[in-house]
Amino acid sequence: MNAGRFSWYLVGIVALGLAFGSIARVETSPPKGAKTESARQVTFNRDIAPIVFKYCSPCHRAGEAGPFPLLNYEDTAKFARQIAYITERRIMPPWLPAPGEFHFQGEMRLSEEQIALFQRWAEQGAPRGVAADLPLPPKFITGWQLGKPDLILHANVPYTLSAGGSDNYWNFIFPTQLSVPHWIKSIEIRPGEKRVVHHANIYLDRLHSSRAQEKSPGAGFPGMELRIESESFDPDSHLFFWKPGSVPHEEPPGMALRLDPGDDLVLNTHLQPSGKSELIEPSIGLYFTDQPATKFPILVELQNDAALDIPPGVADFQVNDTFTLPADVDLLAIYPHAHYLGKVLRATARVPGSAARDLIFIPRWNLNWQSVFYYAEPVFLPKGTVVSMQYVYDNSEGNPANPFRPPQRVLGGNRTTDEMAHLWMQVLPRGTPAEQEDARRLIQEALSRHDIDRSPANFEAQYNLAAMLQARGEVAEALEHYRAAVRLRPDDAIANNALGGALLAAGDPAGAVTALKTAIAAKPDYFPAHYNLGNALATIGRFPEALEEFRTAVRLNPKDSMAHTNLGAALAETGDLSGAKEHLEEALKLEPQNALAQENLAEVNKQLASKEK
Amino acid sequence: MFVESRQNWRICLLLAMVCFSSYRVAGQTPYKGVTNLDGHAVDPFQRAAGKIVVLIFVRTDCPISNRYSPRIQEMSAQFSKSAEFFLVYPVRTESSEQIRKHMKEYGYRLQALRDPEGRLVHAAAVKVTPESAVFSATGQLLYHGRIDDWYAEFGRARPAPTTHELSSAIEAATAGKPVPILNVPAVGCFLPDTP
Repeated sequence: MNAGRFSWYLVGIVALGLAFGSIARVETSPPKGAKTESARQVTFNRDIAPIVFKYCSPCHRAGEAGPFPLLNYEDTAKFARQIAYITERRIMPPWLPAPGEFHFQGEMRLSEEQIALFQRWAEQGAPRGVAADLPLPPKFITGWQLGKPDLILHANVPYTLSAGGSDNYWNFIFPTQLSVPHWIKSIEIRPGEKRVVHHANIYLDRLHSSRAQEKSPGAGFPGMELRIESESFDPDSHLFFWKPGSVPHEEPPGMALRLDPGDDLVLNTHLQPSGKSELIEPSIGLYFTDQPATKFPILVELQNDAALDIPPGVADFQVNDTFTLPADVDLLAIYPHAHYLGKVLRATARVPGSAARDLIFIPRWNLNWQSVFYYAEPVFLPKGTVVSMQYVYDNSEGNPANPFRPPQRVLGGNRTTDEMAHLWMQVLPRGTPAEQEDARRLIQEALSRHDIDRSPANFEAQYNLAAMLQARGEVAEALEHYRAAVRLRPDDAIANNALGGALLAAGDPAGAVTALKTAIAAKPDYFPAHYNLGNALATIGRFPEALEEFRTAVRLNPKDSMAHTNLGAALAETGDLSGAKEHLEEALKLEPQNALAQENLAEVNKQLASKEK
Repeated sequence: MFVESRQNWRICLLLAMVCFSSYRVAGQTPYKGVTNLDGHAVDPFQRAAGKIVVLIFVRTDCPISNRYSPRIQEMSAQFSKSAEFFLVYPVRTESSEQIRKHMKEYGYRLQALRDPEGRLVHAAAVKVTPESAVFSATGQLLYHGRIDDWYAEFGRARPAPTTHELSSAIEAATAGKPVPILNVPAVGCFLPDTP
């Protein structure tokens, strides 16, 4: 382990050294045969235009993020020395990953030869060249890049970014208001004034958990990181991301994201003041497909925020995490994430029986240019592959992005002044649909266990693991983890309800009653807890109390067939046969196939008939 | 810091042209081509009437100098009693109309000068935008370079500056003390290769 860490660190330094070495070589000692090459005139039309059109113009044009246009000779010649300077230092075009074994879509990395051309062109006084050499100017699509979206959502309330100050993070909630489920194949993010938006991310919020953070509905809310709550394992495994110059990502056929009626989309934006006040009015365009999802990617999240306790002044603080894949997967995309102290970010994969290989290596992290990186070709990672993240942080004064001066102790957390150590990998399990589903379960379970190993106080991991164990019938172990979750959050309604449900299934209705009453105390209108408490009370013969719980359940969710069924049963048990009949009939109206309701109604009708006699 | 200052001094002695240009005495021929936005020739030193002269070089399309606009405006207000601030637009192709629009957008309420022939650029020995220059009332260049250390390099800004070279220079000059350092290079957009 130690040896691995050490060698990795060395590689980082060596790679940097090589990069500088090769730049120096261009300037001082041209390689053999290059004398005539460097004497040759570099012209805009022949040598520079093809590079500028491909790498610069997409952002350096009206309406895009670049501060000035780079579309023709005049635009470019004006900045010849500056372009030579910033390309030599690889400040532009912005592209964080070092070249490696795996390629990414939309790579914006100049070759050493291209960089050398810019140097020579500037030195030679930026000659134009002959007209015949000039390639056709690039054509850009104006407006929505993928054509007119099927649904366009606009921000309710624009955000006013102040003229001065430092980075700013603002979140916009887009209610979707559709009446039937849709399948999303792509989302185009139009973040508003592109010159001030550094990146933007979309999150799916099925439970409206972000709305609570708004001061008034639709107002939006501040915050760098979002915590979206989810009750199911429905994977938020699609990464919809925008950065300057990015083309909207289109999911491959069969990999659409389900959008249910009522779901919210939340846009998280990173903004940088421009010197004048800016109105940020984002809109998003949704592109649907008729083809429901048949492939369900999953996000493998490595993280080790718990290890982030970075002393002031330390320039090389290392944080690692590793995870062994329990199934064969294809790696589709990778999203490394740290805040302002991030320095070197690396992710590797060690396939059984071979050496570790870089999945991504960012030798010089810059939060401003963070991105989701999609692999040009999926990277196959067989079962047993150890994926690993190895991050280095710089909490010294030498890091200009350091939020504190003098440097202070920095811990893991969600605020901009906290630090994060996260790596998301979007993977697609291999095999038949059933095999893929098994693989997803295996991965989810392994991830939860991994998180618990790392931090037993991780409530979500304890809860998720318990729910997965319960789903596959491991009730005893599920109970253990539900109890752990409830110990961590004694007043959490969802966890207490789940614990109650599991206790009831495990044959402990009295224990279930206690947990479910706690859930109801925490959330009086929580339908599942009332329903489960009714069942628990009925199991131990406390029908009058059970009756009250089912009545509440029916009031909270009048469309639930099983709530009517159980209310009917409880009414019958307490002697109200006509009341029972009414609710059982309602249950069957809602769900004609409800066998229990059919059975109970037959029994009630029989008793009513015998009474009449 | 001190050593660096001396090095700059030596460079100044060697490059006689630059050196002399920084010792221009007020009241001599005004800088050729320097005008206000109405096209009238302006000599900032006459205008300053005995105050320290601060030139801030900007261009309309530079995101770094634009980000500085609230700070530049604030500083000009802060030092209004002791220093006369001028915004200098050295890019020949930026018209008065464009400059007016730019100033309105970014909330500038400073006096603006055009310097299409680069005479002020030369006198202040500036290379990028934003870059500042502080002159004594008699036209001696006391400081030129960055406003502060907000930007460490392109694309890498600090959350807030930690050193304030321009303020220090103005304060020293006002107090009649030696300015601590003649030049600290600025990070910013290069002035056009073809002015």
